[in-house]
Amino acid sequence: MTSTLIQVNHFSYRYNQETEVALKNVHFEVASGEFVAIIGANGSGKSTLCNALVGLIPNYFVGFSEGSIIVDEKDTAAVSVGELSQTIGLVFQNPFNQLSYTADTVAEELAFGLGNRGVPREQMFSKIKEIAELIQIDELLDKNPLELSGGQVQRVALASAIILEPKILVLDECTTQLDPIGSRQIMNIIKKLNENGITIVMVDHDMERVAKLADKVYVIQHGTIVLGGTPEEVFCSPHLAEFSVNPPDYYEITKKFIKPGYSERDFALTESQAISLLQEVILYEDRNQKPQA
Amino acid sequence: MKIEIKNLKHKYPSGGEALRGINTTFEGSNPVAIIGQNGAGKTTFAKHLNGLLRPTEGQILIDGESISDHTTAYWSKYIGYVFQNPDNQLFLETVRKEFEFGPKQQGLSRHEINDRIEFISDLVGLKHRLSTHPFDLNATEKKFCTIGSILMMDPKIIILDEPTCGQDVEGNQRLAKIINYLKNNDRLCITITHDMKFVVRNFDQIIVMSKGEILKSGNKYNVFSDVKTLLESHVAPPPITRVGQALRLKDISFSKEEFIDHFTRRIHQS
Repeated sequence: MTSTLIQVNHFSYRYNQETEVALKNVHFEVASGEFVAIIGANGSGKSTLCNALVGLIPNYFVGFSEGSIIVDEKDTAAVSVGELSQTIGLVFQNPFNQLSYTADTVAEELAFGLGNRGVPREQMFSKIKEIAELIQIDELLDKNPLELSGGQVQRVALASAIILEPKILVLDECTTQLDPIGSRQIMNIIKKLNENGITIVMVDHDMERVAKLADKVYVIQHGTIVLGGTPEEVFCSPHLAEFSVNPPDYYEITKKFIKPGYSERDFALTESQAISLLQEVILYEDRNQKPQA
Repeated sequence: MKIEIKNLKHKYPSGGEALRGINTTFEGSNPVAIIGQNGAGKTTFAKHLNGLLRPTEGQILIDGESISDHTTAYWSKYIGYVFQNPDNQLFLETVRKEFEFGPKQQGLSRHEINDRIEFISDLVGLKHRLSTHPFDLNATEKKFCTIGSILMMDPKIIILDEPTCGQDVEGNQRLAKIINYLKNNDRLCITITHDMKFVVRNFDQIIVMSKGEILKSGNKYNVFSDVKTLLESHVAPPPITRVGQALRLKDISFSKEEFIDHFTRRIHQS
């Protein structure tokens, strides 16, 4: 039995200095263990939603909100960000915003959150070592976080969130500065965390990746959720283009060639689906083109 | 303008060797993409091209003149660098002031500055945001604000450090438009990016870096058919290209249209 871990109840929010609302009547639930992707154009409210999920809105950002967000049975407006952070961790869009700016080394940076929790020193060392190896930053532990490259800081930011073992991890475009292979490695790690029971809410622009990883996809436009469902439901929706979102490239190239009778599926959303479907097409066509005996 | 880079090496004070002998030449206005793994030295290399960083060894010649002969402020008139992290570049209270700052330093007339603001703010999509505080912009608007403030100075060469970070469909189209505008106006645009879909759509020349060196330099056909280089530099071809390669199609595909064409030919061959 899965239980509801996040409940966003008709939540609206407007930043203090803005005249338009950033989020408008957002309503959805996330079940424990789910991998949820939030997609949509820039400025649609994705990062605002992330800030709201972890309680930075309304506790840190000044503004006007309506409705409520319940995370692991706690109302985000009623508890402190610190208390919520025991349950839900956010990896910021700009990894430099994640740094404490009090640490001289990456190891100290990773110790920061553990220290605030009162984790004993010995346990801290082994935890830092374990996470650094997982995220492949063990060689950076003695370096100054401010001397790292953008991609390296992004790994450190992720590690500093994971090390606190949150039940829910909110990822706001957390691999934008990583090289293609690096971002694939990080996504594999996140997938593994998810398989081990951690609930993931991920904001992303890479539709190939969203289709591959997510259980549920929500499309957000002008602060409102306009479409939601499984990757199949969302990416096959005839309305998708209205929301400035394209399906994964695999969709169009397979849809074009799959005729009824080739296969049970008639489209692909992932690379492996696309390759195997198109291989079936090649086999079928090659057979049909053999000269009759 | 022509930039010649001869055996460029850079060592950081901490002792790390970030560049280990770069040799290349930039000329003309065909846009260039620099790709490669994190920590390969892409940003360090780019920061040398307008004098933000100085070579530990080797030489950079701009139209025959050594970059070391002048200050970074002098070169910034000719070569603009847009930082990877916009927060490192923005410091004024409004987008308009950010846009005015560079040309004011250059001594441009009020009239000329206003004309440029009109055009550039439209090109980067911030016309309606001119009186906004840069820190109230969202992440990609901030990036366009920094690009705009460099374009305002009309440099001959402009370096964009990871402009595709976090861009949506529309943002990437806007970037493509800017890169095309620069090309058509005889300005060279050098772009560092990890977005391979964006690379194959918009760049004639690609430089692949790995561990402080240039591993390969060429067009998309040379680069993305070179499996060994790709592996070594942590680069993966765009999704469509990978599917075409897995199916062993004769020609490499970079767009959906190309793929559909190549696959149609494959299934109709006999």
